[in-house]
This record gives sequence, structure tokens and C-alpha cells, in this order.
Amino acid sequence: MTTDALPATPSAASRWILRGLTGGIITALPVVAIGLYFIGFAPNYYQHLAAAALVNLIIVVGLQVFMGNSGVPQLGHSAFVGLGAYGLAILATPVALKKLSIPHAPFGLSQITLSPVIAIPISFVVVAVLALVSGRIISRLSGVAATIVSLAFLVIVHSVFLHWPELFKGNQAFFGIPKIFGLPAIIAGAVAAIVIARLFRESATGLQLRATADNLQAAEALALDSRALRRRAWLLSALICGAAGMLYAGFAGTISPKVFYFQQVFLTLAMLILGGMGTVTGAMLGTILLSFGLEAIRSVETGVSVLGIQMPAMLGLSGVALGVVIVLCMALRPQGISGRYELDEAIGALLRRNSRMDKAE
Amino acid sequence: MEYFVQQFVNALAFGSEYALVALGLAVVFSIMGLVNFAHGEVIASACYCVFLAVAVGLSQPWLAILLALAAAGAASVLLERVAFRPVRNAPTTTGLLTAFGVSIILQNLFQLLISPRPQAVPVLNGLNATWHVGGFTVSSLQVMEFLAAALSIGALVLFLNRSTLGIAMRAAARDFSTVRLMGIRANRVIAMAFAISGVLAGVAAVFILARRGSVSPDMGFGLVMKAFVACVIGGFGSLSGAAVGGMLLGFIEVGLLVALPQEHGGLKEALTYVIVIAILVYRPEGLLGSRQELGDKEI
Repeated sequence: MTTDALPATPSAASRWILRGLTGGIITALPVVAIGLYFIGFAPNYYQHLAAAALVNLIIVVGLQVFMGNSGVPQLGHSAFVGLGAYGLAILATPVALKKLSIPHAPFGLSQITLSPVIAIPISFVVVAVLALVSGRIISRLSGVAATIVSLAFLVIVHSVFLHWPELFKGNQAFFGIPKIFGLPAIIAGAVAAIVIARLFRESATGLQLRATADNLQAAEALALDSRALRRRAWLLSALICGAAGMLYAGFAGTISPKVFYFQQVFLTLAMLILGGMGTVTGAMLGTILLSFGLEAIRSVETGVSVLGIQMPAMLGLSGVALGVVIVLCMALRPQGISGRYELDEAIGALLRRNSRMDKAE
Repeated sequence: MEYFVQQFVNALAFGSEYALVALGLAVVFSIMGLVNFAHGEVIASACYCVFLAVAVGLSQPWLAILLALAAAGAASVLLERVAFRPVRNAPTTTGLLTAFGVSIILQNLFQLLISPRPQAVPVLNGLNATWHVGGFTVSSLQVMEFLAAALSIGALVLFLNRSTLGIAMRAAARDFSTVRLMGIRANRVIAMAFAISGVLAGVAAVFILARRGSVSPDMGFGLVMKAFVACVIGGFGSLSGAAVGGMLLGFIEVGLLVALPQEHGGLKEALTYVIVIAILVYRPEGLLGSRQELGDKEI
């Protein structure tokens, strides 16, 4: 450890950026490898599955940013996924198709079509505004109450999707969204999400937030403002989840409110818990393992699978599997597979140990 | 006037149901810090037990009521033994997520083993009649629900104040290790908390069955969500807070039902939560809660 303090090493500020960047890129490597394999060798149907799994990965990473660093369980993140998806859908769908689906949209939204380059930033702004408002409230509450209110937030957003049909088309599918994203764009999105989440974890804010999760009283005694820290993590988490929603909408072309509800919450939560919520590596590992595992279960469950990851539990078996994964993880290994270490940290520790052993010999 | 009285009774009935479920959550939380998301599935288990009993020939309503109470109590105690004991001393987050997982498992098991679609259970429909009281028309079910909730809460208060185990439970909510030093068995206190929580859920289950006349896998989840919100407004872990919060939630809901025009009726749930969250902006620790950050030093 003393070598780190030598004057030759870069300053503290750029060191965490370097660590976050390299760590994030190393963590993203397996994702890129699997993604490229699917692009190159898998039939079309499996590319759809891979896209759905990668969208889930971005959601899980978004969930990790708040839940993993603050230690406060959050169950309402799908609200932001839905907001991102509907934001893009409403702004970017061609006017001709909107005449069919939402002819009476308020604010003249049925008369305009924005190019994705403008629609995406506007959707991010909408997500950010709602995240700032909800974050102010949630960061004030103590742990359990924050969890319940995040869930209530999901119910509110879902209920608005359902009961404002002029804008969101209610219970029916919103179709005709331009398919602007392919699998490569989603892979790029997943890599970006992983690197950003990792940078956040290594940043001063991330470190301080993790300190408040370890011991709130001690952290506040060191003058850390836990509410402000939670607010920032909540905002970043919401933006990442919103991006996942936009990618999903721009890939699938059709969305409906039930996609962004409890099924998705269960699924992404189980992925994060299995991998380990403390680390970005955990989010990545859990998503990959559960995506493959659930696909296997689903082929047993039905024989034919429908559109893949986004709608599990047609008959209940995969739902039971998700619950069992959560319960067993909590009972046997609450820190998840990855535990406390990121992938690059684990590799680094392994290498150091090997070189020490070489010297000893 | 008639309309007003009807809506008032309606609000009392909804409020009692939320209060019953919220109390069940608060009893368990106050003692072992478990946020029991699986509480709704305790209610669903009781209803499915009645459904199965009816399928094999049960037709007496009072037997069905007894069965629902017993099944809910047993299901709750069983869940504690199987799922929650391994995480008893773990952090709140671990318990919360375990309970969430248990809830998912049970919901899907009901789907897998019985049916994803609602199943009719007509045995308790007879409880739902129209009464004429002093010139007003009220639903018998709503009056009975309020009375049953009041009775159960009264019995719970008596138990907590008079019996040794009840006093031990109240003490355990403050400081569990000292209670154990006094020679009270931890397992007994916790099992009793779950049994009470289960029976309260059973009382709620009886009225839900009588009103809906059907069972479905996710019937408990929405209700328990509302009960949690009731706990949060009342102050998490406070028993009186849970009861007050439940009642308040019932009145907010019925108030919105009356105030909202028909075509926006679907927004009732969303607006209820918005109002509740607005309350939390002014009192983040809930109406009757205390600040938890003091940790062990709390008096």
C-alpha cells in the first residue's frame, strides 16, 4: 500500500477516475464478448433474447447505483424505465401512427414528431425532473420507509400510465415507435452504464455514500450529508434506468405498461441479489447467470418461449425460481456471488498473491 | 345524509381492514425488525385453504371462518420457522428481501398448483346483506368488519398489557436481549408475534373472501402494499401508528372515491399514495413514529 503514496503516482483526483475507468472496462468485457458472439453467430430470435437481457443488465446496474451504494432497498426503479420508454415513444413516434394510437394527446403531442436526437434528451429531462422530486422525498425517509415509498412511487407511475389513455394509451400496447436501436447500440449502452456506475462507485460521492450505508451515525458525525448523497445516487440510478427504457422502446418498437411493473422489479432484483448488490460486477454476473438460467427453465416450463426475458412466469415456475434465488441468497450468502470485490480488484488480488508466492519460492 | 353515512361506514370498513393487516405487519416489525412482504400471501393462503375445503365439501360459513383464522395463524408461524428464522439476526435489508422472495415464491406456487385465474369461493357470500339501521341502509359486511377489527384490536391490547407473554413482547420491541436475560424464550416470543400477526390477517381474509367471493394468487400483495403505506404514515413499528395509519388510509381512499369524477376513478390509488407521500414530506418519521437514528441509545 505504501507504494501508492509515492510522488510518481497520479494525483488522488485522477486516480479514482483511472480506477473507475479500467475497472468498468474490465467488468464490461464479458458483456461485450457475449454480445459480439450473439451478433456474429446466433440466429435472429436469440438476438432478441440477448437484447432483452442486456436491457435488463442496464436496469440492474441502475438499481445497483442506488441500492448497492446506499444500502437502502429500492423497488420502484421500473417506474423510471417506463418513463424513459414512454418519453421516447410519445415524442419520436411518427404523426401518422399517433393519429391511430393517441389522437387526443394533450399539449399537441399528437401533432409533432421529434427526431430521436432531440427526443432522447427531452426524455432524459423528464426522467430527471421526476427523479429530483421523488428523490427529495425518499432521501428524507429512514431505510424501510424509503423502500415502501419507492414501491408506492412505482404504483403511482403505473397507475398514471393505465389511467391517462389520451397520452399513454392505457392498458394497450403503444406501437409504431421507430426502431432506432439495434443490438450493437444496446451493447454500447450496457458498457456505458457499467463504466458510469463504476465511476460513481469510486468517486467521492460513491465512497461517502457507501460509508453512510456501513454506519450512518459515524458517517454523519464526519459531516457527511447522507440525504444529499442519496439524492445524487437516486438521480443517477433513475437516469440509467430511463436510458434502459429508451433503448428497450427503440429496439422493440412496442411497449405496454405491464412490462414496467412488478415482474420486471422481481426479475432485476433477483439478478442483483444473486450477483451481489455491493458491486457493479455483481450486477453483471447476476444478470448473465439468471438470463441463461431462466431461459433454460422457460424451455422446460412451456416448450415454446414468448419474446423472452421481459415476461416471465407465464405458468409460475420461473417465478418460483426467482423467489428461491432471492431467499437462498439471503439465507446463505447475503452479499451475493461477487461479495465485496469488483472483478478487477479480485483479479488484482489474485495476481499479487501469485507474485508473492513466486518470490517466496 | 344517507349517502354520507354510507360512505362513512364504507371508510370505517376499509380503514379497519387496512388497520388489521398493518397491525400484523407492525407486531412482527416491532419485535424482530422484519419487513414482512409475505404477509399478503398469509392472507392468500388462508383464502386458498377455504377454497380447497369448499372444494372437498365444506359448506358451513362459521367453519370456513374458523378455518381461515387457523390457517392464517398456522401459515404465518410456519413461514417464520421455515423462511425467516435463518435471517433473524441479519440486517433489516436481508430480512426485507427474504420476505419479498417468499412472497414471490408463494404467489407463483398458487399460480402453478391451483390456477393463475381467480377461483370462486361463494361460502361466505351470506355475510353480505343489506341492513336498515335507524332509517339508513348499510352493508352488514362493513359493520361487521369494523366490529371485528375493533374486537381484535381490543383483544390484542388486553393481551399485550395483561399477559406475561404480551408484556414480554412489548419489552422485546424495546430491547430483545434484556427480555431474554429475564428468562423468556426468544423463539416463543417471536412465534407468538407471528401467530398474532397471522390471526389478524385471518380476520381480514374472512372479510375479503366475503366481499370478493373469489381467490386469486396476487390478492394479498396489493393489500399488503397499502398496509405498509399505512404503517409508514403511522410511523413504522408503532402499533397504535399502524391502526391510526390504516384508518386514515381508509378515509383518504373513500374521500377520493367520493370526490373524484367517475371517469378519473382509476386514479384513486395513485392519488391516495400522492397524499400519503405529501404527509411524509412534513413528517418523515410518520404521525406517531419516533426518530430511529438514535440506534441503541433510544429511550
